[in-house]
Amino acid sequence: MPALAAHSRSGFAACSGCSLCLLVCPVWRKTRDLRYTPHGRAKALQHGVPVAELKNSVESCTLCGACEPACPEIIDLVGMVLSLRRQLTAPAAVTMNDTNGKTANYAGQRVLLATPALRETVVALERTAKLLDCVVAEDNGADIALALEAGTPIANARRERFLTPLFSAKKIIAGDGLLARQLKDWLPLIEITSPGIALSKCSELRRHLRSDDLYVIEPRAFHANYDELVLYYDDLRHATGCAMNLDLQRIAIPATARNLRQRLGVEAEDNAAQTRWLLQGRKIARIVVEDAGDIAAFRQVVDMPVVHLAELANE
Amino acid sequence: MDTVPSFTPGHCPVGPDSLTQIKRLQTNPARWNGANWNDFAAALRAAGVELLESLAACGAFATDAGGTAYGMPHGVVIAKSAQQISALLKTAQQHCVPVTVRGGGLTTEGESVAFGGVLLDMTGMSRVKSIDKNAMTVRTECGIFWHSLAEELRRDGFDYLSAPLNLTSTVGGSLNVGGIDVNSPRLGCSADQAVALQVVTPTGEIVECSETENAALFQRAILGYGQFCVIAEATLKIRRYTPIRMHYFYYSSLRTAVEDLQLLDRNDASDYSGILTIMDSAVNLLVAFDSVERETAFNAKWRAQLRGHGELGFALRALPRYALRPWKLPEALYLWRRKQQLFPEFRRPEYVRDGLMQDRTVVFSRAVWKYWGSRQMVIPDIATSVEKFVNAVERGNAVCRKYFPHYTLYCVGIKLRDDHQPHYEMSCIPPDATGWAYGCEFEPMMDRVYSRDHLQSFKNEIYDIGVDIGASYYRFGGMMKGYIRRALGDAVVDRHLAMKRKADPNMILNRDVIF
Repeated sequence: MPALAAHSRSGFAACSGCSLCLLVCPVWRKTRDLRYTPHGRAKALQHGVPVAELKNSVESCTLCGACEPACPEIIDLVGMVLSLRRQLTAPAAVTMNDTNGKTANYAGQRVLLATPALRETVVALERTAKLLDCVVAEDNGADIALALEAGTPIANARRERFLTPLFSAKKIIAGDGLLARQLKDWLPLIEITSPGIALSKCSELRRHLRSDDLYVIEPRAFHANYDELVLYYDDLRHATGCAMNLDLQRIAIPATARNLRQRLGVEAEDNAAQTRWLLQGRKIARIVVEDAGDIAAFRQVVDMPVVHLAELANE
Repeated sequence: MDTVPSFTPGHCPVGPDSLTQIKRLQTNPARWNGANWNDFAAALRAAGVELLESLAACGAFATDAGGTAYGMPHGVVIAKSAQQISALLKTAQQHCVPVTVRGGGLTTEGESVAFGGVLLDMTGMSRVKSIDKNAMTVRTECGIFWHSLAEELRRDGFDYLSAPLNLTSTVGGSLNVGGIDVNSPRLGCSADQAVALQVVTPTGEIVECSETENAALFQRAILGYGQFCVIAEATLKIRRYTPIRMHYFYYSSLRTAVEDLQLLDRNDASDYSGILTIMDSAVNLLVAFDSVERETAFNAKWRAQLRGHGELGFALRALPRYALRPWKLPEALYLWRRKQQLFPEFRRPEYVRDGLMQDRTVVFSRAVWKYWGSRQMVIPDIATSVEKFVNAVERGNAVCRKYFPHYTLYCVGIKLRDDHQPHYEMSCIPPDATGWAYGCEFEPMMDRVYSRDHLQSFKNEIYDIGVDIGASYYRFGGMMKGYIRRALGDAVVDRHLAMKRKADPNMILNRDVIF
């Protein structure tokens, strides 16, 4: 499998131990334990600690990517975790989609790779497709996204079956930020964006954003293209007056803190503390999320409307 | 159970290199020999304290931000509570095991590096306990990063008063050594913002202290370089958050810039002030305000008195200077490249909008780590009275010129509080300072590899200036502790050493940082 992301970034050896990654790391917020942070992993590797000894730390990472824009040494911290996971045995095998259905043809079309959570939010899915004038791909690559996350090898046949229909697409709107990041490597000539960014550009939706909204940016796509998007969202925030899940460094605070085992479904999710921290002290009346996967986490801890961005269209 | 004290009564643990007439040779301390470690570890675990001994845990703390001092603890304890720290210190006293306390690890002289023994990682205690909106104070655990504290305070529209312009400084670390912000000329150092503390003494007692309760311990805890206690919690003053209005003035003379800085401070003409330079060629006096009213008053009364220029004015004056000195063109090119790097960073639109800078510490700290940070850093400094400061800066600058092609100076004033004089004894605040103290950091750019000897010689030469003029230092511990006696005198050091021996019978707490 090719390495994830363009590796113009430096490796763990460049870590100077500044600890800036701790400030934005949801795992550090939860554990207050340096071992479970990019800093801790880089320093351990610098001291020759075997990867197997870092298993718990490597699996604890949520891959939100918040540490990357914080890192002054521009270390490929997400790539580092993925690389380490590939060297470990995944805690549970990822079930790959082995069905051989009819091959789709997306030539010249905009294609939406909806996450499982968005697929389950039927109204939001339909409106997203309509607003973005795109076709919803039957094969959303969810198994590939999970395999990437777990470090599980992806068979060439499965990868080709997923990518072949996308080769001639005009634009891909990938709901999973990690998959989008990989698709940029696999399909460098095709424009790839996230549903959140694409939807937030729709004037029909923007005019419904209110100053008492908390707009929750999907962190993976945001952090993967931070330098460009931080200005985009800053403008959006000023134009609409809504609050955003940005910290004082303008890095996105994830609404959830799902580690690998939780993403694989072998451990119960425990997002309440992270979600409460995001909401702490904010005077808001509604929560608008880019990622449908955040809806349940908010509804568990707060009694106010939580809507997907696309759902604003019917107002 | 046998215990072998590693401290010999009667022996002065202040390094021999500090003694007069003996050649100075600053080095890392010897590694503690590990006597009784296994017994200690068993006793600590029996007391319910988790001790991490893996390479992954210990290796993370092998060095500090300076990257020139390397040590390795035998084990790491992640701070959880005052009670846990108490159990640790009691057990460590019993077994004579050294305990090194670390906050953000932003020391440069190995002060937060454990050369054996236990490394106590205070960032484990980093939760805000409560905000008192009436008293305008916050109670917080002291391993918290100032930035994390700011994140919590801002949700309620508050801010801390002053803290280092570094996102990963911790509250506890700053209370122990000072903590300087660009509003320190008005509000004092971070340590002066503490109203009350919960501390754990070297023998494991948990004590609440303030100016009125256990005042003697409070005086030694603040600016105490971790010698007399571990600060577990603090009550700090807070204020309403305001974005700030920045002004930059550029000088080609250090002396003129320093004089103007002191003019502003003396007359309370600004809310924030400081000097940041590119060598001594481009000297930037930054001035900022919390309110339109303060900014208007400055513009009306003081702006015209400043001798610095705007960006364009400075560039127009610099051009002929370099045109007539073609051998200095590499320097001019360096200035240009540096300007191209730095200026956009200080004006990023997500932090600066409509002339207001949001979150100054974020802006400055991100720039500092990005454009000044590296795997190795040395930042010797001199802290003086008002009167001695220009001389110290100019002499230190000459040393920088001698050792490095590129460097930065950072100068800032610290408003002193008369009622805090006892805190200031044997600290970065020089004994002869009244009204304000001034500090200058001399930071070489590590754009090539320098030997440790080269870096140490540079630091020594800067610190020699301090001895010569009668100054103090912000970073006088660790590898530079040999200067303490020379700068502050035997009487003060011996008095503090006696207090330390009494408080810490086996000298376990932060050994080799000062004593």
